[in-house]
Order: sequence, then C-alpha cells, then structure tokens
Amino acid sequence: MTEQTRHEIEITGVGKVFGQGETAFHALRNINLTIRTGEFFTLLGPSGCGKTTLLRVIAGFEQPTTGSLSINGQSVVGLAPNVRTVNTVFQNYALFPHMSVAENIGFGLKMLGRPRAEVAATTDEMLRLVRMESMAHRKPAELSGGQQQRVALARALAPRPRVLLLDEPLSALDLKLRKDMQSELKRLQIETGITFVFVTHDQEEALTMSDRLAVMNAGQILQLGSPHEIYNAPSERFVADFIGETNFLNLKVTARDGSGATVGLPGGATAQARLAEGISPAPGDTVPAVIRPEQVQLCPPGEGDMDGTVTGAVFFGTDTHVHLTLSDGQPFTVRRQNSADQPEPANGTPFGLRLTPGALQILRG
Amino acid sequence: MVGRDFDVRRLPGFGLIAVLTVIMLYLPIVILVVFSFNAEQSQTQWGGFSLRWYEAALNNRQVVDVSLRSLWLALAAAAIATVLATMAALATTRVSRFPGQTMIYALINQPLMVPEIVTGIALLIFVAFLKVQTGYSGMGYLVVAHAAFCIPFAYLPIRARLETMDLTLERAAADLYATPLQTFRYVTLPLLVPGILAGFMLGFVVSLDTVVITEFVKSAGQDTLPTYMLGQLRRVVTPEMNAIATLFLALSLVIVTLFFMISRKRG
Repeated sequence: MTEQTRHEIEITGVGKVFGQGETAFHALRNINLTIRTGEFFTLLGPSGCGKTTLLRVIAGFEQPTTGSLSINGQSVVGLAPNVRTVNTVFQNYALFPHMSVAENIGFGLKMLGRPRAEVAATTDEMLRLVRMESMAHRKPAELSGGQQQRVALARALAPRPRVLLLDEPLSALDLKLRKDMQSELKRLQIETGITFVFVTHDQEEALTMSDRLAVMNAGQILQLGSPHEIYNAPSERFVADFIGETNFLNLKVTARDGSGATVGLPGGATAQARLAEGISPAPGDTVPAVIRPEQVQLCPPGEGDMDGTVTGAVFFGTDTHVHLTLSDGQPFTVRRQNSADQPEPANGTPFGLRLTPGALQILRG
Repeated sequence: MVGRDFDVRRLPGFGLIAVLTVIMLYLPIVILVVFSFNAEQSQTQWGGFSLRWYEAALNNRQVVDVSLRSLWLALAAAAIATVLATMAALATTRVSRFPGQTMIYALINQPLMVPEIVTGIALLIFVAFLKVQTGYSGMGYLVVAHAAFCIPFAYLPIRARLETMDLTLERAAADLYATPLQTFRYVTLPLLVPGILAGFMLGFVVSLDTVVITEFVKSAGQDTLPTYMLGQLRRVVTPEMNAIATLFLALSLVIVTLFFMISRKRG
C-alpha cells in the first residue's frame, strides 16, 4: 500500500446520544468511517445531520456514547482534546481577542513547551504561508473576516497536527472571499500534506475541494465516495437530491444482467441503467431512478429515448433549464448549453429526449 | 431637528424630576464638602475659607489610626472575597448544570438578601462565643466577616463577565494543547480581568462603607473609620467630620476613576 492509503482516522460503530429516556436525541448512529492519511475529506449534510458532532467527537470535545475511535492507530476514546494530535478551525474562528496575531499563531507550540526560538520561527513561517506577515502585531478585532480566517488556519496548522478539523470555516465569508479561500485551503492542504477533515453544508464546496466525501443525514452516513462517484452514482434519493439538481423517475425493470438492469422508459423505449450498491431488483419491479439534467440532450420529437412537452424555461446565462412533462405525465428537467443563435424553447413545444449512455442510475428503494 | 421617535426628554415633568433628583443626590454632599473648608466651627454659618479642619483631622492620631485600619481591612476583605468569588463564579458557570445550582446561587448571594442587622446580630452572638472559646479577639473576625459580606458584590460582576465570554475560546485553547490550568492562566483569566477588577473595587468600597457588621463584630479598639465617625457624631459635630468625610469621598472617586480608566483601556 502506498502512503496515500494509510489510515489516519478509524471510526468504528460510533454513536452519540444526548439526553436520556424519551427526550434522548441520537446525534450519531453507528458511524463507520476510515479517513486516509493526507486526504481532503469532507463531511457533507444539512444542518442537524450530525456532521459537526462527529467532528467534535474526533476533536475530543464530545465523547462517543458507543463505538471506538483511533487516530494514527491509537485509540483516543476518553482522551481530552489537549492530548490529541488534531487541531480545529472553528466556525467563528475563536481567535484569542487579547493576543496579537503572532501570539495566537504561536499559542499551540507555546503550550507544547517548545523553545521560544522555534515558536518564533514557526510563527513567521505560518504568517508567510497564509500571507499575513504584515499583520503579525495586530489584534484579531482589527482584522477583516477573511484575515481572521487565515489567522485561525495558521494557528491550527502551526503545531503541525496529524489532522486538521475544519468546522464550516467559510460559512461566514461572502461569496467572492469564499471562492478565494476554497483554493487557498486546497493549496494549504497540498503544501502541508496534513489530513483535512472539512465540515460543510455547501454541496458545491464539497464537490470542488474534496478527495472523498461522506454525505450525512439524521446522524448516519448515507454514502461515501469521491465527488465523482457521489455525483454520478448516488445510492439513494436523499444523496441525489442534496447534491446538485436531478430528475427522479419511477421505472419498471424489464431485464437484469450482471451489473445493471434494463428499464422501460415512458413512451415504451428501454435503456440500460446502473444499480446502486447492494440492490438487486427483479424484472417487473418498479424502481426509483435518477438522471442528471445535463446528461440528456433535446432532439426533434420521436428521435430520442423519450418524448416531452415544454412547460417552462429558466435562463441561467451559460445554460437554460428546460422544464418538460414526459408522455406519462412525470416532470423532467433538461439543462441545455446556451448559444447565441438558439431561441428560447416556447411552452408547448414537443421535444425528443436523448439520454447519455450510462447516465441512468437506479437508487436504493 | 424635529424627531418623531419616542423621546423621554419631551415628556411633561421630565426636567423638573431630573433637577430635583440631582439636587437630592448631590446638594447635601456639596454642602458637606463646602463646610469642610469653613473657618468657623459651624455647619450653617460661613466664616471664610480655611484648611484648619483638615489639619485637625490629619493631626488626630485616632482618625489616622481608624482610617488606616479601614483601608487595610477593606483591602484584605476585598482580596479574599475576590479570590473566593472568582472560584465560585467558575464553579457555577464552567460546569454542566447540576441539581441545586439555583440554591447555590442563592446561598452565595445571601448577604444581599438577608437584612444586614440580622447578619450583624448573628455574627455578634457567634463571634462572642468564639472569642470566649478561643481567647482570640484580634482583627481576624472583622476580616472574615467583611470578606464573607463582600463575596456577592465581587461574585456578580465576575459571573456576568464569565457568562458573556465565548466558550469556544477555552475549547480552542484545549484544542491547542493547553491543559485546563494553562487554559485558565492564558485565556480565561486575562479575559476575566475587567470582571475581577470590578468585583474587587465593589468589594473594597462595600467593606470600607460597612457600619452594621463592623459595629457588632469589633472588639474594643477596633473602630473603623465609619464606626469612629458614628461615635463622634453622638458628641459634637465639628467641621472636622466634614473634612474626614470629604477625604473619604475623594478616595472613593479616585478608586472609581482608576477602575474606569483600567477597564476602558482593556476595551
């Protein structure tokens, strides 16, 4: 095995319950997860899904109710945050207001009892890394949100943790700054080689930055994989719906082969579909399926795999979302690349719909 | 400017009530201060400017003695009360809620709720018993009694400061390898300083001012400035009392100003 696939964090059967009896709240349910050394790993989900609780369990701010957790092969259950080799970038940054930027950055090393010269040298290095050299003597209150964010990052990276935990660190920034910080974070992760565990509810952020991500809901991990896998082969409705826009169709299985199935489309044609992991529908079953709006092309009526009638169109600049009704009444959306000479489709116009091969995915029921 | 918003200053009678309140609060004090500079021994007849009563007060051995006693008693009591109040405030804000928390809160604030005269009599009986049992009748009783009485005054601002402090700061310190003690030393304590100073000042002023508790607890020759002044007032009131009171007032003003400047500087 290469360095890339070493296991940094292993989470086995972790559950977290707050409260007792009837008011007990299951924030995490039987989480099993392995995070690899040096990867950018994202926990993605809506608020209240348990992603922040899981991060806090890794940091040591919460103890798991059940299960075990190890970092670099060592069990850390019961260990306090200050003896774990992980550092956190907090959502509100949590910079120490009475310390300068440099003092904030040097805090971790100072607590570890490192010699003064080493603390100073590392602080300078970190200031350079996040491009804040000129701000070393300012107080956090004198910095903008983006600058505070950089200091928080530098402070967490300075002790060279094995793992950096990031709790929605970009959510307080405006769009432009957020885009800048996304590439900044990715650069820092590659330059330092530290394992990043990133929590966000922003699916675009998760897709663009992560090596792998886990989609969470209601305290469970629904799907784990690369952004490509999660986007193109969602395993269930929640994942498909949470990540990007998508079309849901109820289709009938007409035949099965080893890795896929043939399904009947509205209008009578058939198409090949891939199966989500762990399901095996039989011919005759009605199954939920998804197809992304950009994986369908509009063509003249009768020439595609399905037919539909336009019910509306929304112009997005680079593309137009064309809403249609299929011949059996199910709604469907196609994303069409815009070009200057292409007229906006009028309501009531009939179109044929041609599916990109391999775009149809059958979900877990 | 024609403002249509609600403005209390435009309510009928506002000016009159404000003026009367200021007069009630400050006129007696102004008169007291003015007559401390009276050349004559009168509280009503102005006989010209003089510093003779200040001279008399500062040359009065007893006045100097009781003033110094009051000061060091207040310093000791406020210091002890502030340390205990800080620990109590940490123990009531930096823990998960526990049964009996409200009761502990009430117990800490007992001196604010129990009438001072009741505490005074209770202390009189208790301390008299201790004095007989131990044979010790030194200043220790006053220090302890004052410190206990000052705790809630020190506790309230410290607790208020702790409650508004962002808990993630302490979490961040722990995350950056600080032990609980280091977190307290480098993060909680520095951020708590304005609250602790406020608590100390309040405790100091309260101790300096307390008459009832001192009166009941003190042994012979343990008069503080307030109990000494009260004793003197029973005889003849000379402007020497005004002079002492004015110096006392000046000291309080200095303390309050100092505190204000320190807390402003800390932002």
